[in-house]
Amino acid sequence: MSRSPISRSPRESQEPTFTRSRSHRRPVPTPPPETPRRSSLSAEMRGMRRLEQRRNMEESHYLNCKARAQNYNPPIDLRLVDYVSPYDSNLMCPICRCPFVDPVVLTECDHCFCRDCIRQCWNTNSTYNPLGPRGNCPTCRTPAKLGSRSATSKILLNIVDDLVVKCPKSDDGCKAEVRRCEVQDHVNIYCGYALVECLGENCELPVRRKDAAQGCLHYGVSCLLCRKELQKWKLEIHWRSECPDRRVHCETCKSTVFARDLDEHSKQTCPAISIPCPGKAFGCTSRSRKGQAEIHAKSCTFAKLAPIFQKQQDRLDEQEVAQREMSRKLQVLESGFGAMRDILNPPKEDTTPDRRSAGSTRPSLSPRDMQANGTTSSFIPNAQSNFDFSDPTAYADLMVSPHQPRPSASTASRQSDPTPDVPGPRLTDLPEPFSFDSDLASPAGFPPPTTDGGPYASPLHHLLSMHESLRDEMSRISTVLSELDGRHSMQSLNENLRTREEISYMGAQVAGLQRQVHWLTSAQLQRQQGRSGTPGASSSSAMADVGAGAGVEAAVSAVSTAATALTGAARVANVGASGSGNGRDGAPMRRRASEEGRTKL
Amino acid sequence: MAGMSSKRLQKELTKIQGTLPPGITLVSAPDLREWQMDIAILDNPIYPPSDHYRLRFQFSQSYPIEAPEVVFMAIPSNPERKIPLHPHIYSNGIICLDLLDSQGWSPVHNVESICISIQSMLAGNTKAEREFDTWLVWVVMAN
Ligand SMILES: [Zn+2]
Ligand SMILES: [Zn+2]
Ligand SMILES: [Zn+2]
Ligand SMILES: [Zn+2]
Ligand SMILES: [Zn+2]
Ligand SMILES: [Zn+2]
Ligand SMILES: [Zn+2]
Repeated sequence: MSRSPISRSPRESQEPTFTRSRSHRRPVPTPPPETPRRSSLSAEMRGMRRLEQRRNMEESHYLNCKARAQNYNPPIDLRLVDYVSPYDSNLMCPICRCPFVDPVVLTECDHCFCRDCIRQCWNTNSTYNPLGPRGNCPTCRTPAKLGSRSATSKILLNIVDDLVVKCPKSDDGCKAEVRRCEVQDHVNIYCGYALVECLGENCELPVRRKDAAQGCLHYGVSCLLCRKELQKWKLEIHWRSECPDRRVHCETCKSTVFARDLDEHSKQTCPAISIPCPGKAFGCTSRSRKGQAEIHAKSCTFAKLAPIFQKQQDRLDEQEVAQREMSRKLQVLESGFGAMRDILNPPKEDTTPDRRSAGSTRPSLSPRDMQANGTTSSFIPNAQSNFDFSDPTAYADLMVSPHQPRPSASTASRQSDPTPDVPGPRLTDLPEPFSFDSDLASPAGFPPPTTDGGPYASPLHHLLSMHESLRDEMSRISTVLSELDGRHSMQSLNENLRTREEISYMGAQVAGLQRQVHWLTSAQLQRQQGRSGTPGASSSSAMADVGAGAGVEAAVSAVSTAATALTGAARVANVGASGSGNGRDGAPMRRRASEEGRTKL
Repeated sequence: MAGMSSKRLQKELTKIQGTLPPGITLVSAPDLREWQMDIAILDNPIYPPSDHYRLRFQFSQSYPIEAPEVVFMAIPSNPERKIPLHPHIYSNGIICLDLLDSQGWSPVHNVESICISIQSMLAGNTKAEREFDTWLVWVVMAN
């Protein structure tokens, strides 16, 4: 704020000069005109207020300029600068492989990283942790948290800050080499290649600092070499790194070439690059420079023979392709021939089991499949001729074709089918090229040598059909088995119920018996007490007492044997229960039975 | 982010063009985002030391925070490169190595350390077979 002495100078008389002195630098909106009412406020107060306004405006303008300058030169990521001299590898962050930038030492394991590197690694931008950033150490996986800056050793900071780096604008031509801690200042204040705001009137566009003194350079020009339209201030950058017609230096042959040709030059036309001998594919290992390649080719036998070799090779390849074609055709023919032979004289041991299984398992298939056979047999030969069974992919297609009758898949895929319980694929479901094996997949009831062309186009199909019928039989057997299982468990359940009824009946009887015994013993006891009251007790009555006691004891023992018998019965019932129903509900039933036995006793 | 990734790849490349551990060679790095390396296994009879295997590295913009994609390449000829037989290497070249998935990866790893890990994984192998492939075949058949 160099203007503060002026603005502090007294009152209105100074006002016009002040405005004028500013106007040649920047267009500033003129302050609001003086209000005529000066009666209430003193002149000094008004001056103060105007001053305040002026200062606010100026400050905001200055801040705007500064913000713009920072936009032109964003903060430098020090991990991206080039270092002038090699640095100690101990100063290198293992994540970015640069000397540490704002190093942070994890106190848990003493490993050191750049603060930004470890933050990126722990992804602290997306996951917020109220306890501060934490994660595992990238080197040793110890759980750690990010420490404060003060925890880092000052020595380490000084060492990495003292490393000399190149100016980030060195690609544009800045040759400055500064200490790393000063590089931001260099770009913001000194670097001639950093961008600043144009000093031209009413122009706020960026320009390089060293060009700023030349006045406004924001007018259109066209490049003399490539005729590209661009602004004057960009022309130097264009010539330096963009113009396709600029001259560049080839490092290998030390000549200058056009930039647009450099790519081709370095790969092909540069006389300094080495190219292989034309006879390389046939054994010559020599490589020579472009200039000398022709001399070598004249003397090299391989190079001379190369065209002949090449021709031979081409012919060989052709022959090979033709031969492969022939052998493929031969295979098709052979398989066709084999199929025909099978049809003419079918192998006996294949047909008999098939016929037997068909008779037992598939009684309901005849009219429909007969029809299917009739319709499909007409295109069997055609399908056969272009279907190569030696081809493994074709085989795989056949194996995983959608109508392969897998129980779960077939029910799922045939939900739209009106009669889903008919086993085996149906003609309507099948894609056309596969329909010829639909009749083969349901061969039951048809002995192979039939008159309508024969259902077995090949042994493979025959095997598939047998596989199919076996699968059906399996599913039938499994349904029968489950039915049987259900019936059996029902039966044993009924039996079990009956046993339990009997047990409860016996329990009731035992309880009655117990009551009787109880009554008997209590009566006996009463009688004994009555008799002990009288001093003279006859021996005969005592004897009778003993006899009665023995009778009671016998009764008690009888009850207890009945009880053991009952528990035995309960155990038998348990065994029955656990035996029934494949042990599914054996355990709870067993518990119930034994509980009943206990409560009854 | 992209700048840091390129910078680090550039540094690794410069280092790799200098010295590398035995059995590991740089084949090409045409555009910094895709490199090819050859590795040979020196002390396992399953893999003859004369056989080289081609690895392809692909680096995303967020390398080294994210792991690169590393696969074995099969090249039919000139020079022939096969995919090594190993229970944790698919026949399409994909490698099952904890270092290479997002859980096991750490940004302190680099191309050289990945190569050494794969080399030692092959060197310690005793079964010249693929475990996953039969499984894969069944998955394909079942679908
Ligand atoms: Zn770092
Ligand atoms: Zn650590
Ligand atoms: Zn500079
Ligand atoms: Zn301008
Ligand atoms: Zn140009
Ligand atoms: Zn050249
Ligand atoms: Zn030659």
